[in-house]
Amino acid sequence: MPEFDVVGKPLAAVGSQAIVTGKAVYSPDLELPNMLVGKLLYSPHASARIQKIDVSFARAVPGVHAVLTADDIPGENSYLYWYPDQPLLVSDQVRYQGDAVAAVAAESEEIAQAALEAIIVEYEPLEGIYDPEEAMQPGSIQVWPDKGNVQSHYVDHWGDIERGFVQADVIVEGTYSTHYEEHAMLETESAVAYLEPDGTVVVYASAQAPHRDRLQIARALGLPEAMVREITPHIGGAFGAKDEANIQIHAALLAFETGQPVRIVRTREESIRTHVKRHPARIRYRTGATKDGKLTAVHMIAIGDTGPYVNAGEEVMMVMANYGVSPYYVPHARSEAYTVLTNNPICGAFRGFGVPQVTFAFERQMDELARRLEMDPLEIRQLNGLKTGQRFQPKAIVRQGDGMQACLEKAAQLSDWHAREKISRQPAPHLRRGWGIAASFHKSGFGCDVTDHASAAVNMAPDGSVLVRTGAADMGQGAHTVVAQFVAERLGVSPSQVNVYKPDTTLAGDAGASVASRATFFSGNAVVRAAEPIRKVLLDLAAEETGADLDLIDLGDGFVHVEGERVNMPVSDLAGKAYEKNLPMQASGFYAMDYPDAELPDGSSGYEQLASFGAHVAQVLVDIETGQVEVEQIVAVHDVGQVVNPSGVRGQIEGAVSMAFGFTFMEELLVEGGKTLNNSLESYLIPTSFDTPDIKIGVVELHDPEAPLGAKGVGEPPINITPAAIANAVSDAIQAPVNQLPLAPDRILKAAQAVVEGGMDAS
Amino acid sequence: MAEINLSFSVNDQKMEVSTEPTRTLLSVLRDDLKLKGAKEACGQGDCGACVVLLDGEAVNSCLVLAVQAEGSQVITVEGLASKGQLHPLQQNFIENWAFQCGYCTAGMLISSYALLMDNPNPNPEEIRAAIAGNLCRCTGYHEIIEAVGKTAADLQQPVLTSES
Repeated sequence: MPEFDVVGKPLAAVGSQAIVTGKAVYSPDLELPNMLVGKLLYSPHASARIQKIDVSFARAVPGVHAVLTADDIPGENSYLYWYPDQPLLVSDQVRYQGDAVAAVAAESEEIAQAALEAIIVEYEPLEGIYDPEEAMQPGSIQVWPDKGNVQSHYVDHWGDIERGFVQADVIVEGTYSTHYEEHAMLETESAVAYLEPDGTVVVYASAQAPHRDRLQIARALGLPEAMVREITPHIGGAFGAKDEANIQIHAALLAFETGQPVRIVRTREESIRTHVKRHPARIRYRTGATKDGKLTAVHMIAIGDTGPYVNAGEEVMMVMANYGVSPYYVPHARSEAYTVLTNNPICGAFRGFGVPQVTFAFERQMDELARRLEMDPLEIRQLNGLKTGQRFQPKAIVRQGDGMQACLEKAAQLSDWHAREKISRQPAPHLRRGWGIAASFHKSGFGCDVTDHASAAVNMAPDGSVLVRTGAADMGQGAHTVVAQFVAERLGVSPSQVNVYKPDTTLAGDAGASVASRATFFSGNAVVRAAEPIRKVLLDLAAEETGADLDLIDLGDGFVHVEGERVNMPVSDLAGKAYEKNLPMQASGFYAMDYPDAELPDGSSGYEQLASFGAHVAQVLVDIETGQVEVEQIVAVHDVGQVVNPSGVRGQIEGAVSMAFGFTFMEELLVEGGKTLNNSLESYLIPTSFDTPDIKIGVVELHDPEAPLGAKGVGEPPINITPAAIANAVSDAIQAPVNQLPLAPDRILKAAQAVVEGGMDAS
Repeated sequence: MAEINLSFSVNDQKMEVSTEPTRTLLSVLRDDLKLKGAKEACGQGDCGACVVLLDGEAVNSCLVLAVQAEGSQVITVEGLASKGQLHPLQQNFIENWAFQCGYCTAGMLISSYALLMDNPNPNPEEIRAAIAGNLCRCTGYHEIIEAVGKTAADLQQPVLTSES
């Protein structure tokens, strides 16, 4: 690994001074003169025909400035994320509890609420479809008249699984299920919109994808994209819930209609009710291996309930299929995923994007195989872990696969895996201790052959300070800190001299959404490329001024260095000189991921893909009388490439493990008849300071040739593995399979009881 | 609704507010006094993002009516730093990455501040208890607990000033 001045240091996060003093401005904090309060009227039904909407009384309420229905939308009445299926305002038939039928703008919260109550909507409740497997049956109630409920059936396959299963000495099968998870980001969806005198519609929004939002807002308004400007101020968390444009479109519509600024902030109840969830999945696995533990074939079928509107749901299910067999090498694989439409809450992007569900299921299979073969769970993973050049998807091979073994080894070492049997498995008559290991693989970005790029612009002022313009949203994960450290590193200035401008679609180029663990990799590469021409000018000037050979010159700590020795020539002086000499001190950078061609084992052509591996070990203590589980420790090891900021890496891993802990034990959004029952943080419980487990972190820094200064993303990988590691540990403790999340006490008791009655094989 | 006049101190400044009696302290702080540090993330006392100090006690300001603050001393996150100097808690929150998105930070800081006023030398369990009503969705809380512990240790040290 190269030596760095700034990269790899635990610097404070960009914006942190503003955050601790209460001065950081989030969308709900914005105030503009004559600003109105916007609110939406949501359907009380999950499935109903709208017979009549009468807004005349609402419009007559004093202080109400606008009441919009579908008829009042100047452009297209659709979110238009992937499919034009979800109306911004529904006029004919509501298909889930989050459908909005009207939007109001009023002078106060109370008046807006009164206006909502004055809107008359007559519904004819319809029978809905609320079970995905039932929805797949012919003759079931259809969510849409013109298409069936199976939105897609995506299949990844290679080899010949029949042959693979014939080669197997042992075959294990299992059915697994996971539940709805709610993002519960602290700041709900929020936006402020207003009009510029020239007609430009400006939207401040809490959003992960400002440029995509701009497109969606422009289509709804019937305006060219260049007349819409979205800015993302401080963002109070997102985790996927703010990937898709939501109420910022309605705020823009209301501002457009009234000519006044409009703010919409969803209440917690509205937030949970409306936005996408983590897909509940039902997953079936069949896995074959030889008697020495080598995998021969895997067949996976996942069914995901995506609700009535597709949004990113189909992509999530495709990713489930994509990751169905990783992080292991499987010669014969078939990985299938069904995206099923129902009248349940919509599902889509949530940190991990389908991978936590399949990793949980497949890692349970791996442990079951190990148990049947009397192998150590670590050993079977070491034996099958993906290596460089091996296929993990139909056309993709791993570019750098050393991370799998390195992560497993480090996780074993940090958890003292081999010495675990020295610790009591039964420290008290009612307690059982167990250990679980799990691994995963994640890529950065969307994958080959899809739109996936980032641009950025860098500008050094004559005093040597630097302005970075990026379209990449920072929702707290640290994207702007990474970008600032990269630019400071390449231009030899202090990070405090680098100002990362809040994403603004009018000032910054499209960096794509801050999703898919891609911001560090994509926007990192874009800013490094943008800094390069400026660096070149500075180095040339330094060579000219010092008379030293260009090869011997470097920039660092705000000064020129010759042969590693700092000379008394500040970078800021060079910047000033560049301006005097009419040399450019601004540049932009663009990056799209390269997928170099590779030959697949069968001789056909494929491509290389970047890989980020991780391995976790969980140690748990189960009370077999109550079903309560204490997670004594989670060891989380990740191949992050070059660490850009150790505090940031720690934060991403600890935060994801904590969130995964919540998903594993306590977070379950209850849905009945299409309606969520626990729409508050009082009834939907996320981990508190008392719940979060002890976490020990390890990093592996393996180089990838495309990684910006060697760094890879780590936003999602840790959440993929923790549920699997914990489930394997609980299963190890009670010597019974636990194949259903969340691991609620009653389920654990039931599983433990089954073993007492019939032994593990009985279940 | 008839408005009533309230007088209370916020961050050591006397404030006069005329407001409807049904409004919460959070709403008056944010909308009337323009102190936007405390956040509303649930509106019903579940998350702690709106915690402020009311006469030395950490309260969810979304559950307190503004009238209850009459004659009281309120400290918000904006009042922690003095004369441009960050409070050691704020400094340690920054250095220890005790937040990511920062939406819980105002409440988290005030709950921690209240703890340290009552208990200058808390152990990690006591810190956990003090912030148990403050939800954070980004970190795993460990960074926060460490930052508070570090602050307690810092404040135990004799303060070095330029005069000394």
